[in-house]
Formats: sequence, structure tokens, C-alpha cells
Amino acid sequence: MEWFTDIFLDYTLRTVALGSALLGITAGSLGGFALLRRQSLLGDAISHAALPGIAIAFLLTGSKAPLVLILGAALAGWLGAALIASVTLRTRIKYDSALGIMLSVFFGFGLVLLTYIQKQPDANQAGLESFLFGQAAALIQRDVMVILSIGTVIIFLMVLLWKEFKMLSFDPDFGATLGFPIRKLDHILTALFVIAIVIGLQTVGVVLMSAMIIAPAAAARQWTDRLGHMILAAALFGAISGVGGAVTSSRVGNLPTGPTIVLIVSAIVVISLLFAPNRGIVFRKVREWKAGKNLRVDAVLVDLFTLASQHTSKEYPHSERVLDVMSTISGPARRTLHLLETLGLARQIDQNNWSLTPEGVERAQTVIRNQFGGSLST
Amino acid sequence: MSPSVEIQLIAVVVAVACALPGAFLVLQRMAMMSDAISHAILPGIVLAFFITHDLGSPLMILGAAASGVLTVALVELLRKTGLLAEDAAIGIVFPALFSVGVVLIARYAGDVHLDIDAVLLGELAFAPFDRFILSGVDVGPRALVIMSAVLVVDLVFIVVFFKELKLTTFDAALAGSLGFAPVLLHYVLMGLVSVTAVGAFDAVGSILVVALMVAPPASAYLLTDRLKPMIYISCGIGALSAIGGYWFARYLDASIAGAMATVAGAAFVLVVFLAPHRGLWSLARRRASQKLLFGRKMLVIHLYNHEGLPEADLECRVEHLEDHLRWDHQFANRAVKSSIARSLILREGSLLMLTDEGRMLAREALVEF
Amino acid sequence: MDSRPNLNKRMDHAIDVRDLTVAYREKPVLWDVDLQVPAGVLLAIVGPNGAGKTTLIKSILGLIKSAAGSVLIHGRPYSEQRSSVAYVPQRGSVDWDFPTNVLDVVTMGLYGKLGWIRRPGKAERVEALKALAQVGMEEFADRQISQLSGGQQQRVFLARALVQDARVYFMDEPFQGVDATTERAIVDLLRSLREKGRTVVVVHHDLQTVPEYFDRVMLLNVRRIASGTVPEVFNEENLRATYGGRVAFVSALATPDDH
Repeated sequence: MEWFTDIFLDYTLRTVALGSALLGITAGSLGGFALLRRQSLLGDAISHAALPGIAIAFLLTGSKAPLVLILGAALAGWLGAALIASVTLRTRIKYDSALGIMLSVFFGFGLVLLTYIQKQPDANQAGLESFLFGQAAALIQRDVMVILSIGTVIIFLMVLLWKEFKMLSFDPDFGATLGFPIRKLDHILTALFVIAIVIGLQTVGVVLMSAMIIAPAAAARQWTDRLGHMILAAALFGAISGVGGAVTSSRVGNLPTGPTIVLIVSAIVVISLLFAPNRGIVFRKVREWKAGKNLRVDAVLVDLFTLASQHTSKEYPHSERVLDVMSTISGPARRTLHLLETLGLARQIDQNNWSLTPEGVERAQTVIRNQFGGSLST
Repeated sequence: MSPSVEIQLIAVVVAVACALPGAFLVLQRMAMMSDAISHAILPGIVLAFFITHDLGSPLMILGAAASGVLTVALVELLRKTGLLAEDAAIGIVFPALFSVGVVLIARYAGDVHLDIDAVLLGELAFAPFDRFILSGVDVGPRALVIMSAVLVVDLVFIVVFFKELKLTTFDAALAGSLGFAPVLLHYVLMGLVSVTAVGAFDAVGSILVVALMVAPPASAYLLTDRLKPMIYISCGIGALSAIGGYWFARYLDASIAGAMATVAGAAFVLVVFLAPHRGLWSLARRRASQKLLFGRKMLVIHLYNHEGLPEADLECRVEHLEDHLRWDHQFANRAVKSSIARSLILREGSLLMLTDEGRMLAREALVEF
Repeated sequence: MDSRPNLNKRMDHAIDVRDLTVAYREKPVLWDVDLQVPAGVLLAIVGPNGAGKTTLIKSILGLIKSAAGSVLIHGRPYSEQRSSVAYVPQRGSVDWDFPTNVLDVVTMGLYGKLGWIRRPGKAERVEALKALAQVGMEEFADRQISQLSGGQQQRVFLARALVQDARVYFMDEPFQGVDATTERAIVDLLRSLREKGRTVVVVHHDLQTVPEYFDRVMLLNVRRIASGTVPEVFNEENLRATYGGRVAFVSALATPDDH
């Protein structure tokens, strides 16, 4: 309980939590589209490509104001994304190689600039690295205001052009035939994507950014089949991870915020993959098991009936062994027979022999009718 | 050896050791696995460090390899659920593993020289100061010894399994049906990538590993069609990037690793533009000269298609070419002139007619399809 | 003699393609293709793999850049006539695991009419449901598209085109991989469109059914081999010119008049 009140009482924690939550919301929302357009790793590349932009922005203006650095980072990230597309289009270099090259080369160049800056006599350059590793704990109110204002614009544009972006993600060719300028829309969405990444860099850093974009959306996808709900859920998961990470890392000693946020969102992904209704693995296994069970129940029931049909009474008993041999379904008949007994459809006569109850006979006839459209009994 | 030479030597060894598995990663469209693995090895290294308390222990290599293999296994596992695409799986797994590593360091090893900066960035400049002492003899910089060992491992593996690697790279299905266990090879390749990454991170950091594993092979890919030359060229470009990067860094007094990545990138850019055959400049030149050839072919085929048909009168006029083939006036004239010059067509006023040679060319061109 | 084609004549055609040429890295994919289609017909485009059939549709629709040629729809350039043209792409061109339902996909057909930013409302919902009814899928309106069978997916794509109420329809292999019931339903749909005077161009993969389903056919293999009514044009000679070898299978398809 203390944890919660701290958010409101502790100024630093409040700031960090708010900033992280906002990051989670913005990155998570746009991450929804990135996930659907298979751009998960593009986010990783753009994060890395942003570094030289930060350094150059500082070199040109001497300022470390967040807006200046963000602008530089965004331009560099945008350039990286454009080059990736260009190289993939015009040469035989494949998409993944282009990603890897831009990512590492841009970042390496950014490092050169950063280390060069650090050697300069001007001592103003400390703190540029917080963009590298993300130091959410160092967020101050000014940073949060910047994130808030930019994030709001991004979300607003995303909502405004919602159906256009949906069209772009699902069937761009069709959208083009309707007259929508698909390439321009792609540029706009990519630009929003780049900006969302760049404002988030300060919180979790370059390496972890791709998770902040993709993980909330990946988790959200498991819970819903509607795009709107998915984006909302992604934003929610992002926010939860952000706040959770901020609070946890402030309470537990020696726990850096960025990685904590990522671990929380990763846990959310795992939980979603396992337990989401419908798509979740646990539910799938249960469904399969149930279906298999039904299959086995019906199969043994019908076998008992068929065997008994060769005798005068439909409740003529037969041994387990015979049923095992007859059965095409894997697994011993014994288990299924016990199940039939609890269902009142069969009855154990003695050690090895079982027979159908009257209810079992009726049920067997129904199953056969459904399967073959006619009764087997003469 | 002077520190400067030692550094360059280490750099070259790192570059070649990276280019070897890198070539296969690029060809198998798994370049981003280098990024994923070079970050995801962190927890493996940290755990190994907790056990041995020795940054130089070979257990680190094992820990890293295990981490790398774990990464690949987790990605596969996620992909198999059918709920997540492969790129999404990669983008989630490696940050999670990296976070585990960072948290472990922060919580349990905060005071030790296992610095995140070093993992990501490395600093070659300090490498010569960290010597490898074997029985009291100064063998050389520790980084050099380690990376040479890694290079040998890489070489041995690639030489011994060259046939299998080649086959699984170009035709995994065939390899499987021939009994070559492509999955196993895949894991072993990823293990190699992990080992190389951990060997290198102390000196150059993970980002440079990615740069050296992807950029030189990608450049080589634009220069040749065959596997062996591609590997040699990758190593060559990697080595040159290493040396060039070193001097670039010296000039600017900046990060050596970063400079090497930058130079590798610059080499890539040069190759993209200047590669014979596949370079953009070469393509542009060919396109220009082919445009006219193309134009003549289009002209004769157009005339051939409409020959003897009622619209021939309309379609076979020069003005029509400009209208319907969307040729500008200048180009239309050039195409017509050069076709007349090669006796492909005859001109009567504004009406164009095929000669026998022109007809033959048209038929040949059509058969090509 | 007027050197420009008679403009009045061009107005008669629903679709008028002239000299369409598409190249990919200096290799021609479509060469100097002409196609005139009058209104109110069902036209099949057939040809071997790689013949450029999909490329033809896509370049008519401006999705692929052409090196030369022009396209008129009912006498005007395609770019001015978008609202009169509907496109049914191949089923495999989208990811059916996308989080959306049937009604939503059909509603996308109305986005052009809505224009920028405006969201679909009740009126659009009604229209979409009507289109779904035409393809017999109204009950599936809320179904997640990943749960649809191949035939159902195709119907959804068709409904998305129908909702546009276009004059000209381009369809890419709509009969590929659908069950027999859906195939009959699609044919009925095409015929009802024809009754209304609409023009439908279909890239078709099954030569056997060409005479039965279509009025006209275009045989394409990078260049136009032949085009016209099925009895005129769908014969052994043209088929052989289009498909190359494979004589045995080709002669079984020729219309009876040629034997």
C-alpha cells in the first residue's frame, strides 16, 4: 500500500512514473501498428540510428534542451529508416541486413561523435549518454512535459488518421485504388513511429526500446480481435509496465528502472500468451484435451454398441481387451470406460467386462445417427 | 610490438572472426540475430562471472554460448506458438534477457568492473594494457589471445562443415532430406556467433560485433555471387575497416570501435555505388545505354504487333509513339533515327514500316518471353 | 487522315488499354498490350505463370508503374474514375490474422467515399451489411477474419468490392482455392453484375471453365496473343501460342467449332 501512496507523495517518483507511463502509452500504441506491419526490428534499428542525431544536434546548437535533442534524434532515425527502405529497394541487400547495417553503423558513428564531444574542453556535454542507456530515474518535470506534449500530438494524429492507418496496415494496394496516397501515409506513420521511439529513449535506452514498442502490442493482440481494443490494451500494458517499473525500482535497491520496466512488460507478454482466453496456450490445450476426450468417449461408446449389436441385448457386456483392440483412438479403453461410468453411460460388470446402460445405448444411437445419418441397428 | 600495432592486430582479428559467421547470417537472412545475440549473452556472462569471479575465465565463453543458444531456442519456442511473428519474438526476447543481465549486475555485482558501458561499447584503446601472462611469460594482450582463439574456433568450424553450411544456407529443405540436420547446424552457428560476440565484447563491445558481422559480408554480397569469394572479401573488407577505423579514431581522438563501425559503413556505401555490375552507378550507366536498345525493341515490336491490322495506319505513326508510348519528342526521334540507321524500319513521311531485319528482331525479342 | 484515334469510338469502351508496357529491371513483363472491353461483359484473362496477368491488372490500377501506354475507363483516365472501379486482389495478398472482423473489412470498401478522417457510421454499416447479404455472409458480420475458410474469405473480398457499387470490376483469381458452392455463388454474382451493365475483368486460372463462365477472353503471355469473344478466340491455335507445348491438354479445351 505504501507503494501506491508514494507515487503521489514522492515528487521524484511521481515524475519518473508519469514519464514512464507516458512512454509506455505512446510506444505501446504505435507499437500496435508496428507489430501488424512486421516492423518490430525496425524500431530497434531506429533507436540505434538516433544516436548520431543527438550528438550532431548538440554539436550544432550547443544545447541539451530536450526538444533540440529529440529533433536531432528524430531526423537521424528518420534518415536511417529511409535508407533502410532505399537500400532494400534498389540493391539485392535484404531487409534484415539493411537493418543490421544502419543500426550498427549509425550507432557507431554516433559513438565517434559522442566520444569526440567528450574530449572537448566544454564540460557541458555530460548527460548525453542518458539517451543511450536510458536513465528514467533522472527524468525531471521538464522532460515529462515534453514527453506529454509530443505524445499527445502523436496519439491525436494516430486517432485522426485511424481508418487510413488501418487501411495502410491491412491492404495498402486496395487503399491505393480508393485514391488514398499510400506512400505519403506510410511516411506519416513512420514519422510518428520515429518520434515515439525517440521520446522514449531517455527512459529505457537504446537497447531496450524495441521491447517497449513491440511487447505491449504483442501481449495486447492475444486478448482481443479488434484493432481499436488492441491498441488500447497495448497502451494500457505500456502504462502499467512504466509505472510498475518506476515504483518497483524505487522501492527495491539497486534496480535500474529501464530493465525493470522491460522485465515487467515481458512478464505481461508471457502471461498473455499463456492465459488469454481463446488464443492463450493454456486455453488451447484445455480445448484440445476436451475435444480429444469427447472423441474418445464417443468412440468407445460406439464400439460397445457395435459389439453388443451382434448379440440379443444392446447391453451385452464385453471385455476391455476387445475394446482396446477395436479402438482406433490411442490410449487404453479403461480410462474412458471409467469416465463413461461416471457419466452413467456404461457399467462395470466384473473385473474385465463392461456393458452399456440404457442411457448409454440411447446416446450411442444418437452419435451414430449424427455421424452416419442412419441407425446401425437393424 | 607497439600498442598501436597491437591494437590494429586485435582489431583485424576481431573483424575476420566476425566476418566468418557473419557471411552465413547475411545469406540466411538472419543478420539481426547478431544484434539479438550480442545483447542477450549478457546474463550468461554475468552468471559465469558469479561462479568464477574471473573475467578472463573460459567459463565466460560457455556462459555466453549457452545464453546465445537459449535466445535462439526461446525465439523458436515463441514462434512455434503461432501467436507471434518471428521478428516480434526476437524483439521481445533479447531485451528481456539483456534486462536480466543488467539487473543481475546492478544487484549483485555493482562494485565490480562489469560495466554496462563496456558491454555495449568496449574500448580497444585499453586492450594493450591487459596482458595475458602464461607461466610468467607475456604472451600479448589478453584480447588478442582470446580473439585469436575464437578466430581459430570459427575457422575450424567453417572449414570442417563448409559443405553442410553451404547446403543449409542455400537449400535447407534439401539439406534436411539428405540428413544434414539443418536445425543442429543452425544452433551451432548461433553458438559460434555467441562465442565470437563474447570474445569481442571486452575489446569492442556488442555494437561493433554487429557492424562487423553484417556490413562487410553485405558489401561482399554485392561484389560476388559465389560463397568462397564472398567469405574472403568479407574478411578483407572487415580487416580494412578495422585498420581504417583505428586511424580515423586516432585522428579524431574518439571511440575506436565506433570508428571501425563507421568505416565499415562507409565501405558499404562505396560498394553500393561503385560495385561493378551491381553498383548503382553501373546500373545507371547500363540503364541509359539500354534505354535506347529497349526503345528500338519496343518500336519494332509495336510495329510488328500492329502490322497488317486496320489500325496500322494510326498506330504506326511517329506522333502516335509520343502519345501512346509516352515517349518525349526527343527520345522518339532518337529511337526512330537509330532504328532507321540499323535498317530496322523505313520511314514514309510520318508513317513507319518494318524492314525484314526489323521483323526478325521483333520476332526474336518476342521469343525471349 | 486524322492521326489520332477517333475519340468518340474510345468512349464506347468500358475499358480501353493502349500499348501498355511494364518493365522490371530492363526485362519486359508486359509488352505493348492493347485491350478494349465493352460495357456489360465478363472477361477472363488467361495465360501461363509469369505471363503478366496480375501485372496487367495492377498497372491498369496504377499500382505498378508502366513504361508506356494509357488506360481509359469509360472514356476518362483511370485516375479520374477511381470511384467507378473496384478491385478484388488475390486472397493471399493480406494477412488474415489481422485483428478485424468481416463487417469491418467490407466497410473498408466505403473509405473512398468517406474521404479523409471521416469515420464510418450507421449508414455505412447498413450498406456493408447489404453487400454481405449479396454474398450470403450476413451472419458472419462479427466473425474474426482468421476464422474464415478460403471460400468465405473470397466472399468477403467480393462484398468489399460490391459495396463500392462500381461500374468496372477487376478481380485477381477469385476462384482460386474456393469450394464448389462458393464458386457457383461467385459466378451467379458476376452474372447479376453483367445484367446490370457492369463490366467485370477476371484473372482466371482454370481454362476448363472459361467457356462456361465468361463471354470474352484475353490470352496473355507478356504480350496479347488474342482477345475477343470466347467462340472467336478461345481455340487451339491461340491456346498453343499462349501456353507453348502441352498440346494434349490444350486441344481438350478448344471450343467444339475447331474440330
